[in-house]
Amino acid sequence: MSRTTGSQSSLREANRTLVIETVKEFGGLTQVELIDATGLSAATVSTIVKELTSSGVVDTQPTSRSGRRAQMVTLSPQTGLVAGVHVARRQIRVLLGDFSYTTLASTSLPVPFDQPADTGLDRIALLLAEMIDGVGRSTSDLLAVGIACPAPVDATGMVSVRGLMPGWEDEQIGELVAKRLGCAVHVDNDANLGALAEVTLGASREVADSLWLTVSDGVGAGLVLGRRVHRGFAGAAGEIGHVQVDPTGSICRCGNRGCLETVVGAEALLAPLRPLHPHLTLRDLVDRAVHGDAGCRRVIADAAATIGRVVGSVCQVVNPPMVVVGGPLAESGEVFLEPLRAALAQHTIRHLLGPVEVVPSKLGSTAEVTGALVLAVQRTDVTHRSET
Amino acid sequence: MTDTPMHAGTTALHDLGPAPVADDARTPVLSVLGVSKRFGAVEALVECSLDLYAGEVVALVGDNAAGKSTLAKVIAGVLQPDAGYLEIDGQPVSLPGPGAARQHGIAAVFQDLGVCDNLDVTANVFLGQERTHRGLLDQGGMERVSREVLSMIGANVPSLRTPVGRLSGGQRQGVAIARTMLGEPRVVVLDEPMASLGVVQTAEVLTHLDRLRSLGMAVLVIGHNLNDLRAVADRIEVLRHGRNNGSFDGPTSRNDEIIGAITGAWPQ
Repeated sequence: MSRTTGSQSSLREANRTLVIETVKEFGGLTQVELIDATGLSAATVSTIVKELTSSGVVDTQPTSRSGRRAQMVTLSPQTGLVAGVHVARRQIRVLLGDFSYTTLASTSLPVPFDQPADTGLDRIALLLAEMIDGVGRSTSDLLAVGIACPAPVDATGMVSVRGLMPGWEDEQIGELVAKRLGCAVHVDNDANLGALAEVTLGASREVADSLWLTVSDGVGAGLVLGRRVHRGFAGAAGEIGHVQVDPTGSICRCGNRGCLETVVGAEALLAPLRPLHPHLTLRDLVDRAVHGDAGCRRVIADAAATIGRVVGSVCQVVNPPMVVVGGPLAESGEVFLEPLRAALAQHTIRHLLGPVEVVPSKLGSTAEVTGALVLAVQRTDVTHRSET
Repeated sequence: MTDTPMHAGTTALHDLGPAPVADDARTPVLSVLGVSKRFGAVEALVECSLDLYAGEVVALVGDNAAGKSTLAKVIAGVLQPDAGYLEIDGQPVSLPGPGAARQHGIAAVFQDLGVCDNLDVTANVFLGQERTHRGLLDQGGMERVSREVLSMIGANVPSLRTPVGRLSGGQRQGVAIARTMLGEPRVVVLDEPMASLGVVQTAEVLTHLDRLRSLGMAVLVIGHNLNDLRAVADRIEVLRHGRNNGSFDGPTSRNDEIIGAITGAWPQ
């Protein structure tokens, strides 16, 4: 952040903004952590927090850190309501919360594979309206919504790659939902938002660079560099599901050949098990593996090894200290993580600081929808609102 | 994927084995074979057949008066077929009444749910099968079991002491489904569970269906909204004028094909 060299008041304004942005970035942190993160003096932080508390921008709650009393600073829950939506291939997940990241309600609606956009968007609006009603609030309290899509999204909020989200690609998803709900709507890729959630509130909060890896119906990754999600030119950064692993493989839904997803996507994983288990789902696969089914464990371990080759290449280029793994397959725990670590060790150069740390997601199946909510919070100007 | 933790659900109450997942033996748990049912001049079912396998959700769709509820009642032992018969695990059975169906592991929840609004959640779950301990109602034990069965199907109720009349439609449906779990059923039949529910409550019921499926039960669900049914169904069976008129794969079929079969536009 560049500091303006100007009047006392513009300096104070800049410091104030810095404090607000830092609280947004970390979701919530103690006053001591805020001093560390902003580099401001204890006195300045204390004054600004007091000022922001009295103007209703932030809220402080007593907490403890290493046994000592501390003040937890969050954005004020009074600011209004905010929501995250994750449009996945087989479900729509909605999280309703406030600006202090307190969850007020959450719902998950199973949907069919090819749900058309009009039905889906109506469902999103109805779900949100009912959930807001359910917590005794009004839709006019809803200030912003974030939407996570299972396809790359460009800076204008449009799906930027064809074939990954059939029926939704020509829709102004953000505008259509904004029209129905009457609030700001921000759209991004679900893997990017999973990464945003983990770096803001989850497992990678303490490190500057990290990779979010999610293995579900497809495979995706989100790249965090210097605590910022790296989206890329068309929002397609981290689309590791479309890295080629088999030059003679099947044609992928993206149009290329032999993408990682054609080898480890849900359909590819379940196909060899179909003769034994005709109706198996990804969830059943994980359940069976956890309970010791040798065939299912093998399928997951082989997938982890293949994914590990691709993730290894990414780690070789970016050299992050941590890979955070989410999605249903990661819920099989070490069945997936152990072969993934082994593959990463084989496919990255060994350096003296030790191997990349592979950890399970802290937010689990709610990572993407939480990231969508974080996006909505971070894109909302809370200062302006409290002054009007 | 569901909201709930993955391995909640295996409880001491139901010895479902270590893995709460599908049993893939290829003998249907329940088969309906050439069943016909006539009410006076009305042919409600005409040589209707249906197979239900463990660990799958089958949606039964059709126009009004297509015979969906009649078929559900035949399976639940409420109505007896005029012709044809039922098989359980490949063995012919006769179900002279709902009690016989329950003994064969068939549980049904009909549209009226059969819940008592003035009684609390626990009392409704154990309605008609209250447990006693030394001659007194075993309130603590019943509450514990109620909590277990509700969490098995992923149902959330504010409190077990809440009168059911104060619950939402989705929660009431959850209580009605939880009650059937006490009989440790293998087949669960649900007649229009999403009728007149809002979208949040529909989401709850769809989650219950998904849970029953992963507990290894064969689930037959009757409904109208193809979008909702296709979200959870492995297979869609169409009835038209009491006859089978098509069977579709849940994940890969299209709404227009199924609608064609419902209205008779398909097959040509």
